[in-house]
Formats: sequence, structure tokens, C-alpha cells
Amino acid sequence: MILTIFTAVIVVSMIGAALAGVLVISEHYLNDYGQCRVTINDERELEVEGGRDLLSLLTAEKIFIPSACGGRSTCGLCKLKVLEGAGPLLPTEEPFLDETERKSNVRLSCQVKVRRDLKIEIPKELFAIREYTCKCTEITDLTQDIKQFRFELIEPKTMDYVPGQYVQLRAPAYKKSSEEVYRAYSIASDPSQKDIIDLIIRLVPGGICTTYCFEYLKIGDEVKMNGPYGEFRLSETNAPIVFIAGGSGMAPIKCIIHHMINTQNKRKATYYFGANQSRDLFLLDLMKEFEKKLPDFHFVPVLSEPDNGGNSKYEKGLVTDAVRRGLKNASESEAYLCGSPGMIEAAIKVIRDLGMDEEKIFYDKFE
Amino acid sequence: MKESPQNKKLEAVLRSSKLVAGGFMGVDTRSVSEIIDSDKNELSKFNITCEQIASRMQQITNTAKTGLGTWEKIEDNLEAKTDEARGFLPCPWPHAGRFVKRVTIVRRINTSETIRWSDLNIHLIGEHCFFQGKGSTFRIEPKKLIEMIF
Repeated sequence: MILTIFTAVIVVSMIGAALAGVLVISEHYLNDYGQCRVTINDERELEVEGGRDLLSLLTAEKIFIPSACGGRSTCGLCKLKVLEGAGPLLPTEEPFLDETERKSNVRLSCQVKVRRDLKIEIPKELFAIREYTCKCTEITDLTQDIKQFRFELIEPKTMDYVPGQYVQLRAPAYKKSSEEVYRAYSIASDPSQKDIIDLIIRLVPGGICTTYCFEYLKIGDEVKMNGPYGEFRLSETNAPIVFIAGGSGMAPIKCIIHHMINTQNKRKATYYFGANQSRDLFLLDLMKEFEKKLPDFHFVPVLSEPDNGGNSKYEKGLVTDAVRRGLKNASESEAYLCGSPGMIEAAIKVIRDLGMDEEKIFYDKFE
Repeated sequence: MKESPQNKKLEAVLRSSKLVAGGFMGVDTRSVSEIIDSDKNELSKFNITCEQIASRMQQITNTAKTGLGTWEKIEDNLEAKTDEARGFLPCPWPHAGRFVKRVTIVRRINTSETIRWSDLNIHLIGEHCFFQGKGSTFRIEPKKLIEMIF
């Protein structure tokens, strides 16, 4: 009797072990996608090890697709066309793709696993994007929660970008983050200094990259960034310009104004900068310098809580109130906006009310 | 109490720093269920539900948003403003849902006492009754929150 039970236990155990073995072996072979071929724009072929997501795989091949969330399917920026081999659309992609994009085989590259040969299409300008090694050389406090970080490019030594574009800064793994992440920040520097990249960053409570920059990044540290990205840029018309941006939204506007000075662009321009109090204003001396160098440029700080009981030298109210009061020739002007979606929506409403056509409104939304 | 595999997985996500710097649990050594139960117990003293709190928080955020980053009056002694950053945060629970990276700061005018929450906080409290672990960036003490916004 005991021998029978003992034999039965041994047999069951052996069957269990054999099944586990089969599972381990089959998993090894089934999940081994082997070499896959990724054909890009019918021009270039990559032989890659299957199993990874397309975004990280392309990044490893030094092809940088815009992404502000580091591949977590929360920003929706890493779109590209996958013409063959992607498999069905995932629920994580659906919120980011409209009907036209779905019909055109647009996918989020961070969600597409490379399991077989793929045919993809990437906008040609993305091939110009490079990864840069740079050194942090200056950190300047601008307000209580905004700093300007200066990075000197080491390799490659210079970056060609269009004023208004952004880069993706890499925060390495550190005490409060177990993984490296990339976050998008607009370039704020003078574009004539091709070896320097300035970023204006506001501390986001709990933000992985901003916490790294504010609490861990030190002068002399080496960091990586890639870029440039983005379509936000000054048009080539002569229309009067209205800039509207507050806080760290100043970054691309500052870069564009430097460019206007460098290129002797004499377009009439007014920059409305909204803040709570005068202590939230920054780079005022630089703005004065801009006003001296560009005779038709005016910087208009707007405070919702003016100091000295309202006797402030600055405009009072919301930035949109000041625009409504000050913008006289909206139908002939162009607007360049940078900031939160709420601010941009409110500003668009005001300038549309004042008569500006939609196609003359350009913006860099914080999305 | 023995945690289910789903809860263990959730707790690992909450303790990790994949979504926010330092994670959602801070230095709290209690399990997710223990934190939620303890905070629910605190709420019962005020006879108020998580849904009611989240609804009031959302109402304040909606008013504050109209200030475009400047202080908006909520009540005689209360004002609020919002700050937004690029991107979205997904809910760490295993369901769809992503939230703008917006922080609402509420200030009592006479004492300058402040409290802050993110859009994700509102969802975590309303849907999951999770006020986050002690020591995390966005932990909100239920008692302080209730006293501030009601």
C-alpha cells in the first residue's frame, strides 16, 4: 500500500517536473523572436534582435523618435507609421490615435513589439536628430520654483536647431527613480551659441526629471539629451507678433527673440508674460536688453496680484485681460503661445474674438 | 492579512518610482489595504465619503483652472491656483485612465496655510480611496484636507 502511494507521488511529481520543463523550453523558444528586419522608408534596413518595443529599439540604433514619457504610453508623441508587421492596435494606443491616423497605420512606437519583420515610415527630419553628451555648466535660480540650466555640448560639439524647438533631456536612474527617463524641454538659449543649450525648467512636485534637475544635478555633471524636435517656430512673414507665455513657457519665446536680434528681424513684437506677483517675474534685464536691440519689441509683464496695493508699474489682471486691452491689430498679427493647455485655450479664445485667423495662431502646448 | 497576488503587484507599482519620483508609498511600511482602511476609518469620524471629498476637490480645481496659474477665490477665506506641466500620469491601478500633470494649490487666506493635490490625487481618492503613503510627495492627511476644503 505504502509502496503504491510512494510510486504514485513519484510519478505525479515526475509528470509535473516534465511539464514544467516543457513550459520553460517552449517559453525560451516561443519568446525568442530571433533576428527581425525593420525596413525604414523603403530605404534603410535594420537587423535587430526581436522582442523589444520599437521605440527603444530605434533609440538603440540612434534613431530618435519624440517621446516625453519615456515609453510609458502616456504622452502619445512617439507616433510613426507601421505599414507591415505591427499586429493589432492595443488599448493603450487607442486614446492617442484619431480615425485618420488609424487608417494610415499610425502607431505608438513604444507600444509596438518587434516580433517579426516590420515596414515602417519615419519623417525624414527625424534622421537629423542626434544624441548629445553635455556638461552642466551653470544653474541659475529664476524664481522659487524655476531654474535655468546651461549645458555645454561635448559630443557632438554643436547642435543645429530652429528657434522654438525642444530637446529631450535624460534623467539617469537616481535615488528617487529606479529607471532613466527622458523629458521634453524647449531650448531657451541664443541660437548663435551652437555649443550651448539653456533650458528653463519649473519644478514639478514628484516629477522624476525635474526632481533630478533640482535636487541631484550639479555643475560639472555630464548628461545626455537628444534632439532637436518640434514644429514651433517663427513664420517668415512680416506680420506683427504677439507672444503670450508665462513661467517656463518663456523658454522658446526667449530663443526666438534672440534669433530675431541675430537676424536683424524688425517685425513689431509684443510679449505678454503673465504671473502672480513681481517676485514671479524673471530675466527682466534681458527683456530690457531685447527692447533696446529690437526697437519694435515690447515686454509686457502682467500681474494678477500687483504689489503696493495695485500701484504697480505692471499691467494688472490675467494675461488674457492684458492681451484683450492691448492688442489693436489682431487680424493683421500672428500669435505665438507657450504654456498650459488652459492658458493656451483661453488665449486663443481672446485673440480669435479680437479677429485673428486660426492659421495665424501658433502654439507649443504643455502636452 | 495575506495579500492577493493582484494586491502584491499593485503595491510593487506603488512603491516603485516608475511613475513619480519616490513612488506613491513614501516611507510608509503599511500595505496599500492598511493605508486605505486607516484613512477610511479617519473619514468615518467626519461622516464623509471619498467620493464626496474627490467631488469637492474637482470643483475647486475647476474654479482654480480659470485663473490660468494665478490665485482664484474659492470662498471668503480660501483661494486656489493650478500649475501645469507637460505630459500625463496614468493611474497605477490596472485600468485605463491618464491625468494631466496639474497641481492645485489651495491656500487659506488668513493663515496662509496651504494644501496641494494633483489631478491624479483626485482620481486616487475618488476611485480608490487612496490618499497615498506617508512621506510621499502627494500624501494628503484626510483630516487636514477635510478641514481645509469643507
